[in-house]
Amino acid sequence: MIIRNDENDKYTAADQMVVAGAHQIRPDDVVYVGLGLPFLSALLAKYTHAPECTIIIENGIVRTTGFELPRATDTLGVQFMSDQLTGLFYVSSLGQAGHITTGFIGAGQVDRYGNVNDTCVGDYYRPSHRWAGSGGANDVMSFCRRTITMLRQSQRRFPGKVDFITCPGYIDGTLGSREKAGLLPGTGPAMVITDLACYTFENGEMVVKSVNSSVGATLEKVKEEVGWDIKVAADLTDTTPPTDEEIRVLRERVDPRRIWVGGKRTPIGKD
Amino acid sequence: MNKVMTMHKAISRFVTAGDTLFLSGMQHGEPAAAVHEIVRQKIDRLTLVSVLVATANLLIGEGLVDRVLTGYTNQDERSYAVVKARDAGRLPVFEEYSHFGISLVLLAGQMGIPFIPTRSEIGSDMPKYNKNITSVKCPFTGEYLGAVRAVNPDVGIIHVQRCDAEGNAQKWGTMGVDVEGINASKKVIVTTEKIVDADVIRRDPNRTIIPSFRVSAVVEQPFGAHPMHLAGCYSGDMWGYYFDTGPKENYESYVKELVYGVKDWDEHLKRKAEIKPPGYFENFRINAVESDPIITGY
Repeated sequence: MIIRNDENDKYTAADQMVVAGAHQIRPDDVVYVGLGLPFLSALLAKYTHAPECTIIIENGIVRTTGFELPRATDTLGVQFMSDQLTGLFYVSSLGQAGHITTGFIGAGQVDRYGNVNDTCVGDYYRPSHRWAGSGGANDVMSFCRRTITMLRQSQRRFPGKVDFITCPGYIDGTLGSREKAGLLPGTGPAMVITDLACYTFENGEMVVKSVNSSVGATLEKVKEEVGWDIKVAADLTDTTPPTDEEIRVLRERVDPRRIWVGGKRTPIGKD
Repeated sequence: MNKVMTMHKAISRFVTAGDTLFLSGMQHGEPAAAVHEIVRQKIDRLTLVSVLVATANLLIGEGLVDRVLTGYTNQDERSYAVVKARDAGRLPVFEEYSHFGISLVLLAGQMGIPFIPTRSEIGSDMPKYNKNITSVKCPFTGEYLGAVRAVNPDVGIIHVQRCDAEGNAQKWGTMGVDVEGINASKKVIVTTEKIVDADVIRRDPNRTIIPSFRVSAVVEQPFGAHPMHLAGCYSGDMWGYYFDTGPKENYESYVKELVYGVKDWDEHLKRKAEIKPPGYFENFRINAVESDPIITGY
């Protein structure tokens, strides 16, 4: 069982994640993206099927044109020739008011109900592992109509129940749990994309929707790396693999400097 | 009133031990020079409010911070500054919000109200561990919302591209939480790349983010945001800074040589230029692009 992750291959598992993410962006979407693979997905969509989409970045950037892929969320390259430069309060308010259709976040862990943990494993005051915290991720998951979570999959990162809910998914999985918590109806996690598979939600519970067979994943491997007995969608399929054109655009336009290889940032550069 | 003074004087006069301190610059144009001066003056027992300010690690590492209001901070062994603070018994308490939550505590402070409702954080476990996040019933619709408590920092420091001698300050590029944070602050220190004539400000007054009567001190400090970038001025070296202050040996040598070992920021820059490869600062030069000027007049 080998997940393709050699950059000499035509494409890697990380490329498959980026492409699967891009496919979730609709031509008229207003997309909020966090650093990392979501930036690549948004730019790929912008340069292929969704040239009109609006890209929103946490520090206060609103743009409808492409930009140089950065190593950090805010660089002069990301700011350059934006449609609007404003602040975090303004762009997050766009989300809270319902104007952002699709949000992309990374995650430390994600559980059965799509709750994301970016805070700690174990007791809050004596954690066995600490992440840096929410950043803007809680806001995205709280506000956006559809939130897509992208992370590398392992059983450790897919527990049945997270120890700390940093970003609310469908909370305890019961009907109306988000609304009961004070969140707006019609918001919440829509998809989880990993190097192994893509997941959607049925009645607030994560199900396997498609397997990344293009990079060597199998349903058996997918299930092995989930911390509960995960359900499989009735219409399970293979994840749509990257086309030659998508890989070309990814290499030549989205990331010509090759700063995000195999899902990881290459060492220090000028920005 | 002309408020121009040296960095040393501005910090010693307006930043006091025990203060709640706001630092501007969310990955863009932070007041790095001012932070280094606070460390040099060892002003401690601070409560820090900031978002993604890289040089804030020095305040934590040097044991100057009691409490941090944060949305995102490495709190474990991956940050030597945190390890150093912990070993010295000076690990701050981290009061955790989402990033929008931080902008809201400051906005409420700016507005002069005690709290502000929100739909963020409410669905998470954050309110269980942060007494300043709770829920509130809307008096009009009866629905439940989250609520965060206002913060009015004792002092806020912002670095800008230009400011006049009285303190009318203009910043552009991404604004992070700058506008709310600086306007929520009781005292304001503006550090600026350049002090300009008041008429320069008044020909484009929409760009002013805080008016002079709210400002206590103005400090002219070129490259004052380095190692971060500043729109229209220079690009940055954030990853280089993280490396220079990341591992223990690097961090300790950085604070010895470039914080305590220099008398001010100009000397810091000079010393850093000597340490770094030739052309280090020249590399941050940008290809400047101009828009059409805005037109005023009557």
